[in-house]
Amino acid sequence: MTAVAHLVVEVAVVALMLGGTFFMLVTGIGLIRFPDVYTRMHAAGKAGTLGVALLILAPALYFLGSDPAVSVRGGLAIVFQFLTTPGATYLLAHACYATGHLAHERTELDELKDVLPDYPSSEFGPE
Amino acid sequence: MVATVATLCLFGLFIAAVLCLTRIIIGPRAADRAVAFDTLSTVIVGMICVLCVLWNSTLYFDAVWILTLVGFIGSAAIAKYLTRGRIF
Repeated sequence: MTAVAHLVVEVAVVALMLGGTFFMLVTGIGLIRFPDVYTRMHAAGKAGTLGVALLILAPALYFLGSDPAVSVRGGLAIVFQFLTTPGATYLLAHACYATGHLAHERTELDELKDVLPDYPSSEFGPE
Repeated sequence: MVATVATLCLFGLFIAAVLCLTRIIIGPRAADRAVAFDTLSTVIVGMICVLCVLWNSTLYFDAVWILTLVGFIGSAAIAKYLTRGRIF
């Protein structure tokens, strides 16, 4: 590659790494600051997924010229991340609702209350 | 330029990991800890990516998607356990 192409790739990799780190930091701050488990899932499931996708794109772009197999694996990893993280967050949120985790008192909308009136149904409430 | 920014990003990801560990320690119930643990595995995936760029090596890049899948299986197992009291 020419020198200009190297420079473009380096600038793109730097931007991707900085953006991904910013979103991961936002995720960590959200995990600490948010008041109940559902809002914490919101921070972890959205900002975390975007941040790690940007961070995986950085080496995928960096090694595109020298080792394209890494880029393929990086793309696969991003697809896995986008498939699995929202699924895991959904499963955990459903488990929380079923075991009686109360939302924060300022929560205004609980659509599951009408659909599933007998929740919390499980007597197994882990501490 | 890349090495400097990668070191800076490693430091930022370290702070994010410390925040996740704080939530794992103080989190009032098990579900909070599960969410924080899932996020911690995501932060570690990001650290591996930054280290690949910093060391100019693709040796550890396979760990990225393996950790992604293992983290999902762990979160799904914890969710099933919280709902039913058993995993299977």
